[in-house]
Amino acid sequence: MNRTFRKWMSPLLLLVCWEVVTRAGWIDSWFLPAPSLVFQTLYEMVVSGEVPYHTAMSMGRAATGYIAAAVIGIGLGLLIAWSVIIEDFCDPLIELIRPLSSFALVPILFLWFGVGNTSKIIIIFKSCFFPILLNTISGIKGVDKKLIMAARSLGANGQQLWIRVLIPSALPMIITGLRISTAMAMMSLVGVEMLSSDSGLGFLVIDAQRTFDTKRVFAGIIVLSALGFSVDRAARLIQTKLLSWHTETSLGGK
Amino acid sequence: MSFIHAQNITKTFNGKNNGASTMAIAEMSLTIREKEFISIIGPSGCGKSTFLLMVAGLEKPTTGDLAIEGKPINGPDHQRAIVFQEFLLFPWKTVKGNIEFGPRLNRIKKQAYESQSRDLIRLVGLEGFENRFPHELSGGMKQRVAIARALANKPKVLLMDEPFGALDALTRESMQIELQKIWQKAQCTVLFVTHSITEAVFLADRVVVMSNRPGYVKKTLAIDLERPRTRKMFTSERFRHYEHQLKESIWEEEETGSWEINPVEEKRSA
Repeated sequence: MNRTFRKWMSPLLLLVCWEVVTRAGWIDSWFLPAPSLVFQTLYEMVVSGEVPYHTAMSMGRAATGYIAAAVIGIGLGLLIAWSVIIEDFCDPLIELIRPLSSFALVPILFLWFGVGNTSKIIIIFKSCFFPILLNTISGIKGVDKKLIMAARSLGANGQQLWIRVLIPSALPMIITGLRISTAMAMMSLVGVEMLSSDSGLGFLVIDAQRTFDTKRVFAGIIVLSALGFSVDRAARLIQTKLLSWHTETSLGGK
Repeated sequence: MSFIHAQNITKTFNGKNNGASTMAIAEMSLTIREKEFISIIGPSGCGKSTFLLMVAGLEKPTTGDLAIEGKPINGPDHQRAIVFQEFLLFPWKTVKGNIEFGPRLNRIKKQAYESQSRDLIRLVGLEGFENRFPHELSGGMKQRVAIARALANKPKVLLMDEPFGALDALTRESMQIELQKIWQKAQCTVLFVTHSITEAVFLADRVVVMSNRPGYVKKTLAIDLERPRTRKMFTSERFRHYEHQLKESIWEEEETGSWEINPVEEKRSA
């Protein structure tokens, strides 16, 4: 029995048990529909264009918030690591806003920007921003002082030091921050779409629940789970490709 | 004529948060000739690494004069290369990329630095490893890369801070013999900090003994052994005599109660 096969066992076993329990009639099909029914519903929703549409809406919001968080997070992180003055100026605000739940901002954002895309993107931005920012700062600050000395004695000036030594050294940390934030984006996306929306996968799930259509609820959950999994896999793949020089152990393995 | 000249230099480090300041070097004077191989030994914390960093221009003396070719040292310069015990290669660059780091910063033509890096890779015996990354190399190989990287700028001075301290005893011995070859080819002045008396004698034209902190030059000893030096010399009477003399001057300090850590480290590295 090889490892790939072993890793498939638990999901398959879950599906089989689930199917048996519901087919046997031990649990009301309204309460827990059989997986075969769920996948059939899912198939219909894909074919009708419903799932592709809501997926596109969700991913558009998530990507906008995420990319904005990445650009501003890395940019500000580099500035803070570069200057103590900027750090002292920004640090209190960072420490006050960071522990705040993104959803605490929902009421005021809805008041200011309405319930449209802007509020949602800001919530996603807020969830993604801090892991990226903090990893960038500690990535740069954590560069070995002696490595900097070695580079300076090889003739690196200030600018060359940043571009050729500090940023490449901090890259593993920065990319870790970027990867953590993909999960944050997916999580806050669903939450904010459930609060108020007329599109997106979060809306799809909450809308199905309102009409007691559990088949559609499960179908939506499966799409979200598959999407979250794929995004993380893609992020991990990019991480491995970009950091092929990095020792395997520190990438956390496969 | 003196090449590097240190005159009454002191170095004081201010404690953090207004803590007590520490004097690392006190009234140190030393004159080094061009192309001389100098070994510096002394107890832990005696300021020998600090002295090396000052010659590199990475630290400034608190008082006193430190000059090279008559000009005061103000900041780092690619003419003075440094090799640390921890190798400190750029992990995202290959062996070749690490070696070419300095020449590329200093805008040397591509053809020139590529042929030079080939020569250096041959000199340090890393043919076939040009495109490997540091994490794929052993400790000895990493230190060869660090040495080649330092030499790529054609430095006048090569500063080495316990470069073989992290290597196993056998690798260390072969690296000592190779360093001698490399030094003879590269024609530069070497300042070599070490904890090992044997290593210091084997490599140096002159051994400098520093005192306990705050450090100053307690003794310098010219090593009059013909070059190239060979393993056989380790057991020669003259070699042992030099080692003995250096130990005497270090033990003096132990008897006054101030030499604490080093006898242990000496055993480990000898």
